[in-house]
Amino acid sequence: MFTRRDVLRTGAAAALATVGVTTRERFAWARGLLTDSLLDTTVDRALSVAKQAGASYADIRIVRRREESVSTREDHVTGVGFSESYGLGVRTLARGAWGFAAASRVEPAEAARLATLAVEIAKANARVIKKPVTLAPAAVHVDVWQTPLTKNPFKIPIADKAEYLLAINAEAMKVPGIKFCSSWCSVLGEWKLFASSEGASIEQDTTRIGPGYSVTAVDTAGGDFVDRAHELQPMQAGWEYVEESALLRDARRIGEDAVEKLKAPSVTPGKRELILAPTHLWLTIHESIGHPTELDRALGYEANFAGTSFATPDKLGTLRYGAPIINVYADKTTPGGLATAGYDDDGVQTQRWDLIKDGIFVGYQTTREQAAWIGENASRGTCYAQDHKSFPFQRMPNVSLAPGAQDLGVNDLIAATDDGIYITGTGSWSIDHQRLNFQFGGQMFYEVKGGKITQALKDVAYQANTVEFWNACSLVGGAKEWRMGGSMYDGKGEPVQVNAVSHGCPAARFQQVNILSTDVRKRGGVP
Amino acid sequence: MSLDSAPAHSLIDEVVGAARRVAPGADVSVSVGAGRSANTRFACNTITSTGDVDDTTVAIGIAFGKRHAATTTNQTDRGALRTALDHAVRLAKIAPEDRESMPLLAPQRYLASPAAYDPSTHHLTATARADTARAAIAAADAAGLQIAGFHEHSGGIWMLGNSAGLRAEYRATAASLTMTARTGDGTGSGWAGALAQRAAEIDAAALTRVAVDKAVRSARPRRLDPGRYTVVLEPAAVGTLLGFLVDSLDARRADEGRSAFSKPGGTRVGDQLFADAITLVSDPTDPQTPGAPFDGEGFPLRRTTWIDKGTLAALTYSRFWAAKQGRPPSGDPSVFHLRGGTATTDALLQDVQRGVLITRFWYCEWVDPQTMLLTGLTRDGVFLIENGAVTGPVNNFRFNESPLTMLRNADALGRDTVRVPDAGGRLRVPALRTHEFNLASISAAV
Repeated sequence: MFTRRDVLRTGAAAALATVGVTTRERFAWARGLLTDSLLDTTVDRALSVAKQAGASYADIRIVRRREESVSTREDHVTGVGFSESYGLGVRTLARGAWGFAAASRVEPAEAARLATLAVEIAKANARVIKKPVTLAPAAVHVDVWQTPLTKNPFKIPIADKAEYLLAINAEAMKVPGIKFCSSWCSVLGEWKLFASSEGASIEQDTTRIGPGYSVTAVDTAGGDFVDRAHELQPMQAGWEYVEESALLRDARRIGEDAVEKLKAPSVTPGKRELILAPTHLWLTIHESIGHPTELDRALGYEANFAGTSFATPDKLGTLRYGAPIINVYADKTTPGGLATAGYDDDGVQTQRWDLIKDGIFVGYQTTREQAAWIGENASRGTCYAQDHKSFPFQRMPNVSLAPGAQDLGVNDLIAATDDGIYITGTGSWSIDHQRLNFQFGGQMFYEVKGGKITQALKDVAYQANTVEFWNACSLVGGAKEWRMGGSMYDGKGEPVQVNAVSHGCPAARFQQVNILSTDVRKRGGVP
Repeated sequence: MSLDSAPAHSLIDEVVGAARRVAPGADVSVSVGAGRSANTRFACNTITSTGDVDDTTVAIGIAFGKRHAATTTNQTDRGALRTALDHAVRLAKIAPEDRESMPLLAPQRYLASPAAYDPSTHHLTATARADTARAAIAAADAAGLQIAGFHEHSGGIWMLGNSAGLRAEYRATAASLTMTARTGDGTGSGWAGALAQRAAEIDAAALTRVAVDKAVRSARPRRLDPGRYTVVLEPAAVGTLLGFLVDSLDARRADEGRSAFSKPGGTRVGDQLFADAITLVSDPTDPQTPGAPFDGEGFPLRRTTWIDKGTLAALTYSRFWAAKQGRPPSGDPSVFHLRGGTATTDALLQDVQRGVLITRFWYCEWVDPQTMLLTGLTRDGVFLIENGAVTGPVNNFRFNESPLTMLRNADALGRDTVRVPDAGGRLRVPALRTHEFNLASISAAV
């Protein structure tokens, strides 16, 4: 039988073909103290005990997470930290119900205890379920997968990272009016071994990096201040992503932006054309398309916490979600995407599929448990658990807006706009529990008049309804400026689990969107 | 790890001792958290997921003068601890100096906190949780509703120690149950929830009745235009907004001119910012607000009044900022209690000619930290109040409002206060009535 070790030894996995020895070394390093023999015996024990105890299906995830962080403010380092956790989680199906138990000691005896407990829990739950859980058929994979990168960010000395961040602060602080600057860099490593009673055995090693900084301009006499954050996005990548970025080069401009925003006039509320940069639009996509198309949410599984969805299955194939130029796809294979992986936590190979085609709602995000709920015979591969101690469930893949047919850049969109507002970066964001009414701020706001940017503005937010908003899209930029943005910390479920996810998009323009002023002092609303 | 304090103590001693050998002269601090948490989740009137987790976290801080670093691990065998220690030492040696770093705290005396640990809550079984879910589901089935909920309990120990001899220990349990019932036509939704130190204190049947009743009563809401309204906020709603305020009490940000509590030349301490009825305190010795009597550095937390009869009385001071400003440090408070008033629920409604009763909020986010302006939405039970009584359900709203205004315009507070589940139990608040609350636009969500 072909094992993961064979895959690693021969380099048979597609993702590894070009990486060779470095990959094997990285896998060994990502595992830490977990040896092959310990992993094999622990997995075997968990799966065999679960079966003996009455599980019709069982899987085990052994996960090791590492996070390194460096943070600074102005001229000094405020924190250097490294955290590591690993352990095993055993999920079982018995009498049609789920059971799950987890602990931190990776050893066969603990695996046996957890498997027994997980089956006991499943049987306790089985007395209460209405219909048994059934899993859609899935191919059984034995494979390995790893984030492609050239410079392992965990190997870059802390002092080098701190020096880089302090250089940013120093540059930004040279701008008159900038009083504070905070910068940071987080690196997350997620190594995971998944094995199931069906024979799957998949080892994956993911590396994510999230650098950034934020400056504050203060008008001491007037009692006013504004923040301005850099818009570089977190990514699945190595340290080369930071080195190749404009973070340091932009520091002075970011400071100047903050001062310009501080002095800028407050926006006049009203309906206006809205041009959204990719550094902003990714979050609107996340909230108003990513979450509504999660099938468990649409059916009520998240009703007690994150809410439900207006995009219910009866609308599949008929709802005009957006204008005909809107094409949105889900994808866990895009290089660099934060949610990108070879396989999901059901062991299903990742893929790309449509959620919105020519403006029509056509697809959901599903897991093996969920596929049959909408009459599909295979999972879309979106099951995920944040760590060894969390129950795996449906989580968002990368959800992206496809570029338009014309290769327009943001300057083309601005040139085509007579009276509008251009927003870059993300600020405040909020959306209701069926994903309809939303309100977003941003980092920088510019007035557009007669096809040109005329001045910066402040206190800008826009409020809209999801379906009206996407149907009001009048221009979608092209492939040349298609960029991914994302978050390392998207929350869902109870207890809340985080998921890292990216969203690619070009800039886009929306017609007659309701613009608000958030300056409540003019109204005397707040003391 | 067992919940006895002895193994955690010896673990701290072991790490501190090892650090003395491998890094002579280093300051060492160790934090150990160990416990069990388990949960059962239900939705669509069936149990959907579940979990039972044993976990231990050991955090090791190493400082060479002003150079410091910290590592954490969830492994407690000698080899893993040594690896984490060595890593912390390596990182601290190469970390640039932090001129704001403070020396270790010497041994401290802590207030005696009330017993917060309940063994039966710690050891609650999957069968007991499933039975709770089953009863809620049966009630929803009987009423023809969909129900979703979450039942969680945890128990654990938290210990701190350092190479200056400080030791601190706190042991606690918590249990929570929240649920949301929805009508089959999708037009009604009702929420109820509670958090307590002992699972036995949670009245699951009463919570189910509230969620079911609200779902039924909120169905087929009538349209109410956006606008500024008198609102009666139930405790869950009050707690959500208050959470933003208590997280903004940092004196440093106020002194630096970048907080809602800044004013030209200083802070707003001493200013009457709120209604006379508003008093906000932290008291880890109060059995109504059980909390650790120390913060993450082992600093002893005291009874503190933050807002005294409407006047901002104090802000939080880190040890660094306190030293710089010549003020006493406050530590990082573990609990807050917005004192209740005298009003019964009926009395809160009584004087309202036309207003809105709000169960809870959702997706609240900062809009402007300078005015503490927030945006968010109502959900799971919004009702019109007319002439002192609830007259029927209305649509949900997006609000744009500040907790400063909420507390400034408050004119009546509920008699009873409760711990708010979604804040992890750190906030205890009453319902309250306030005016000119900006319900900015309609949300069609139910």
